[in-house]
Amino acid sequence: MEIRRDELTKHISGTGDFIKIDQSKCNGCGLCARICIVNLWGIKNNVAFIREDYKEKCLECGSCYQVCEPSAIDFSYPAGGTGVVYEQG
Amino acid sequence: MNTYDIIIVGGGPGGSMAAKTAAELGLKTIFFERGRKPGEKNSSGCGLGPRMWKEFPGMMKDLTPEKCPSMRAGTAARCYFVNKEDKVAGYVMSRPTESVSYEPAKSWITMNCYRSEFDPWIADFATKAGAELKNSTLVVNLLKENGKICGVVDEHGEKYKASIVIGADGAISMVAKQSGLRTKWSQDQITVCPQYDFQAPPEKIDDIMGDETLAVWWGSTFPASYQVFFHDGFHQGLGNWLTKWDKNPLFYLNKVINLKYYQRLLRILEAKPRELQSHLLPWLQYPYNTHTDGVILIGDAGGFPCPLEAEGIYPAMVSGKIAAEVAADAITFDDVSKNGLSKFDEIWQTTSLGDDFEAGEELYNIWRAIPFSPKETMTWFIPMLMEALGGIYDWSQPHPNRIRQIAAKIKSYMPQALPFMMKYVFPLVAKIFEDDLDKMMDPQKLMTALPKVMEMLPKKKKRRRGT
Repeated sequence: MEIRRDELTKHISGTGDFIKIDQSKCNGCGLCARICIVNLWGIKNNVAFIREDYKEKCLECGSCYQVCEPSAIDFSYPAGGTGVVYEQG
Repeated sequence: MNTYDIIIVGGGPGGSMAAKTAAELGLKTIFFERGRKPGEKNSSGCGLGPRMWKEFPGMMKDLTPEKCPSMRAGTAARCYFVNKEDKVAGYVMSRPTESVSYEPAKSWITMNCYRSEFDPWIADFATKAGAELKNSTLVVNLLKENGKICGVVDEHGEKYKASIVIGADGAISMVAKQSGLRTKWSQDQITVCPQYDFQAPPEKIDDIMGDETLAVWWGSTFPASYQVFFHDGFHQGLGNWLTKWDKNPLFYLNKVINLKYYQRLLRILEAKPRELQSHLLPWLQYPYNTHTDGVILIGDAGGFPCPLEAEGIYPAMVSGKIAAEVAADAITFDDVSKNGLSKFDEIWQTTSLGDDFEAGEELYNIWRAIPFSPKETMTWFIPMLMEALGGIYDWSQPHPNRIRQIAAKIKSYMPQALPFMMKYVFPLVAKIFEDDLDKMMDPQKLMTALPKVMEMLPKKKKRRRGT
């Protein structure tokens, strides 16, 4: 069964930048890319980058921040009243 | 400047319970929620146990389907055992057993409801008690004066002052970080749990699942996956510690969804995927660093989810209530220092929370080793269990022969099972029964009991047929 992930999340715009990566601290381990449920991370030239449209996709679980051993990823939450909405959470 | 007696960061069940308690104790209280309403950001889909009604009877009798339409209570739970070929090798359905002593717990095991309904319901108690709820507001920092915490700052730079801040802000807690209590959980203290919500017609759920309320899918190729039934849908999710993932967590969740058995269940339930969710969940051996000068951490922020099954609502509410009571005392006696707030630990440790953590380390260890190490453990555990439960269903040969085959097969698992028992099961049993252990292991008693047991064992095979 192929579940269409993109149709199963709802977001409110206006989040601001709430995930930042300090590429100088990144060791390219790729754990962020492995753990992200909605595949927002990639690795290019041995450094992690986050997809440009992450603000409309992120589930705000914070796994990327939590899994990053060198603490290259900074995660704060989106602006109040914006971001992911769970109706059946 | 907005001045309060107490500030609570977070409007989940823990934050609301703290706010309600504080307001009832006469404190000027504010609590903050980053969603447009409480519960909008949460995805744990709570299964509330009878202990909620035992602990909070006045509130819980107010929880009705009118207020919380997703409510569904059930009496039975199912465990599916999935082998390494991804086949459902068997399942066990069970309901409350004869040893259950609390009367309501005999007729149902959990009441399930969506957080989007439950959290606003509980926040209402707090606002009715006089607490101020600020929705759609992200608290970004703690306010400090001369290095002393004295309030919070929101995303717009607005300052709120109070002598005590309660961190009810979840797994990634700003309050924990800014107060210096914790920068981050270590990877083996926190799990990530992706889950799908499926929509299904209520009558289908009732017809097919009967009074079942939840199921656990014990896998050999995926970590244990939970299924929780609500009025018109269900969650299917799984979690594991961050150290444990060798692939994307959704890969493993999709493995469950794609089990042939599961697909059949989806078809007959007429279920359709409705929402994809993910959340972090602290899962600790024991909560620590729960407070410092002017700060108490509760619920997920404090690491309180139950070490057995990681349910977090009840521990959040109990710790929230205790934190508010301790805070009220601390304000009265004008001592909000770390030392003054250490009463928080003293008190929760004497409640049911403390009892649950009594064998927290052993539970944590055994849990990590069984369902959350599927390839290492479940690949032999499930076939061994199924030999015992289902081995007899073989009509190809005489039953005594069959029983000997089953026994031989079970014995062949002992090289894995015995070290496992020594390492994980015995320490847990020893911890839980530690008060009686000396009596049980008294060599003299053992020596008087053992020969009797030995006598009962047959010495040689008796032939039943006539000579």
